[in-house]
Amino acid sequence: MNLKEFIRIAFHSLSANKLRTALSLLGIIIGVASVITMVAIGTGAQEQVTGQIGAMGSNLITVSPGFSRGGGGRISQDIADVFTLEMAEAIKNASPNIKHVVPTSETSGLAVYRGNNVRVRISGVTPEYQEVINHYPLVGRYVREQDVANSEKVTVLGSEVASELFGPENPVGQSIRVVIGDRSYSLRVIGVMESKGQVMMANYDNRIYVPITMLIKRGLKTRYVDGYSIEAASRDVAKSVVQEVEVFMTRMLGDADRFRVMSQDTILETVSQATGTLTLLLGAIASIALLVGGIGIMNIMLVTVSERTREIGIRKAIGAKRKHILMQFLLEAVLLSGLGGILGLGTGWAGGYWLSRGLGWPFSVSPVAVVIAIGFSVCIGLFFGIYPASKAASLDPVVALRYE
Amino acid sequence: MNNSSKVFIADGIDKVYAMGDVKVNALRDISFSIQTGEYVAIMGPSGSGKSTLMHIMGCLDRPTSGSLYLRGKDIGSLSDGELAEIRNTEIGFVFQNFNLLPNMSILENVELPLLYAGMPARERRTRATWALEVVGLADRLRHKPNEISGGQKQRVSIARAMVNQPAILLADEPTGNLDTATGKEIMALFDELNAKGNTIILVTHERDVAEHATRIIYILDGRIEHFEFRIQDEEEHVPVWEVVEA
Ligand SMILES: Nc1ncnc2c1ncn2[C@@H]1O[C@H](COP(=O)(O)OP(=O)(O)OP(=O)(O)O)[C@@H](O)[C@H]1O
Ligand SMILES: [Mg+2]
Repeated sequence: MNLKEFIRIAFHSLSANKLRTALSLLGIIIGVASVITMVAIGTGAQEQVTGQIGAMGSNLITVSPGFSRGGGGRISQDIADVFTLEMAEAIKNASPNIKHVVPTSETSGLAVYRGNNVRVRISGVTPEYQEVINHYPLVGRYVREQDVANSEKVTVLGSEVASELFGPENPVGQSIRVVIGDRSYSLRVIGVMESKGQVMMANYDNRIYVPITMLIKRGLKTRYVDGYSIEAASRDVAKSVVQEVEVFMTRMLGDADRFRVMSQDTILETVSQATGTLTLLLGAIASIALLVGGIGIMNIMLVTVSERTREIGIRKAIGAKRKHILMQFLLEAVLLSGLGGILGLGTGWAGGYWLSRGLGWPFSVSPVAVVIAIGFSVCIGLFFGIYPASKAASLDPVVALRYE
Repeated sequence: MNNSSKVFIADGIDKVYAMGDVKVNALRDISFSIQTGEYVAIMGPSGSGKSTLMHIMGCLDRPTSGSLYLRGKDIGSLSDGELAEIRNTEIGFVFQNFNLLPNMSILENVELPLLYAGMPARERRTRATWALEVVGLADRLRHKPNEISGGQKQRVSIARAMVNQPAILLADEPTGNLDTATGKEIMALFDELNAKGNTIILVTHERDVAEHATRIIYILDGRIEHFEFRIQDEEEHVPVWEVVEA
């Protein structure tokens, strides 16, 4: 059979009723566009998050408390009071591939300078911490060994905190008050950090850094820290370091449930899994729109078939076979949905681009999504076209001819 | 009986339409035969079953009982696909209301049977142009059906019916929607085609039109009421019709 000829015929009848064609195209366009946009947003989010993790250094390993199992009415919660300052040194012996082990602790508080105040996260750190997370002071200096040894009341401000408290003034050398719980401390500013921005849900610019000893001993009145950040010698050894640390700490603490060791790569995996699920979910929701578009096509095709009963009768009377009529109407449906798919791709592309720019995310449309969207819409045309087309094809020529 | 010279043999055809509980006997016990190259007119009052019979002869429909043989083949035993093929290549059908496809040009309308026959585009164009030349419409190829007159539409319809060069032309009231003068032109076309050897069977209400044929089959209430044969009267040069009861 002459396929080219039949495609021409299908185009012909689609262009004979432009408004109707446009309206049924619209359904598919919206469906495909929303699939493309949603998937673009999902993958954009994924790239955004994974890109940030990569920027943090993928040889970073964190040790955090395990949870006590919930059950018997108890709520699952982090096990506290496990990690001490001194253990950091010990953990270093777990593997020769460890560069640094730094204890970390965090709390939130209020920073006050003259009339200004701002809510901040307070990170207790040691000098190595700047290397571990790749974040250095822009002016002044970082926390030093001596500050840690003496629990000095000094602080390095995140860039946002500095500008909110001091404006254009140089904070270095000034004193700020920091309120932790119901106590208040006067801290001397020794430096301001470079801006790092939002990294994985955490904002590093609205923090202040203090010697870890100052935070836990003076501020939190405890011997324990939240956990440790470990810098592995390279990304390649990070995985084996995780295992070595796990083995080492299990021996040290006698219980593997009291801590968790995670490399950036495992976090990366978890996060991509989560965002992958998100993408899938968004795509699935958008597919419903596509499905509705398909039903729209079926509706239009059914109307078309009954409207063109006489035409079908004439075609059959002069020798069209079942397959010719089937082909004609199926091609119409597929052309309609395919065309809608292509236009929807363009629209979705534009929409996704515009949205990701608004959100400040990287924009990407994966070729897979494109192929799936177009392929899916063509299949929708086939699926929803087959019933009307076979209805047309099985019309009795005499009945069709007598049809008014 | 020598069947090879017969295009159609109708053998006790019945056609019953069931509309719920009501049954309409559109045709009852129709038997006749038509020779190759014959020119036959079918007459009868409205609702007598002429179109029903034409549709069966045109392989658009099958008899409820009895048989119609087309060149010896019982069409009741053929599949839909085989009937479609016969409609495409062996029979040309001309309708009272032309039945042209409005969105296509005249040329495309005439090309359509050739498309379904699987002919390549270039050849189709040549053949369709030829058929339109035969009916005198070579200069209107690009026009749409609504841009031409009723008589011209019927010419297009005839061109479409004969484009695949079928041996049989069926016409259901081909002049029914035309004025007398235009009807005469159309009938001249049929006469010409019959002279070239085509078998022509047409349905009409008008005696004038029917008298172009050599035989008239008169139907009443789904039955053949009588046949009329034209006998050439050499002396008076007017046709004489001899009635033969069925
Ligand atoms: N599809 C159908 N269903 C039910 N009855 C039908 C159908 N087609 C035809 N009939 C009936 O069969 C009978 C014959 O119809 P047909 O169309 O063959 O008549 P006709 O001789 O062609 O009439 P006209 O001169 O008006 O065209 C009529 O009574 C008609 O109502
Ligand atoms: Mg009729």
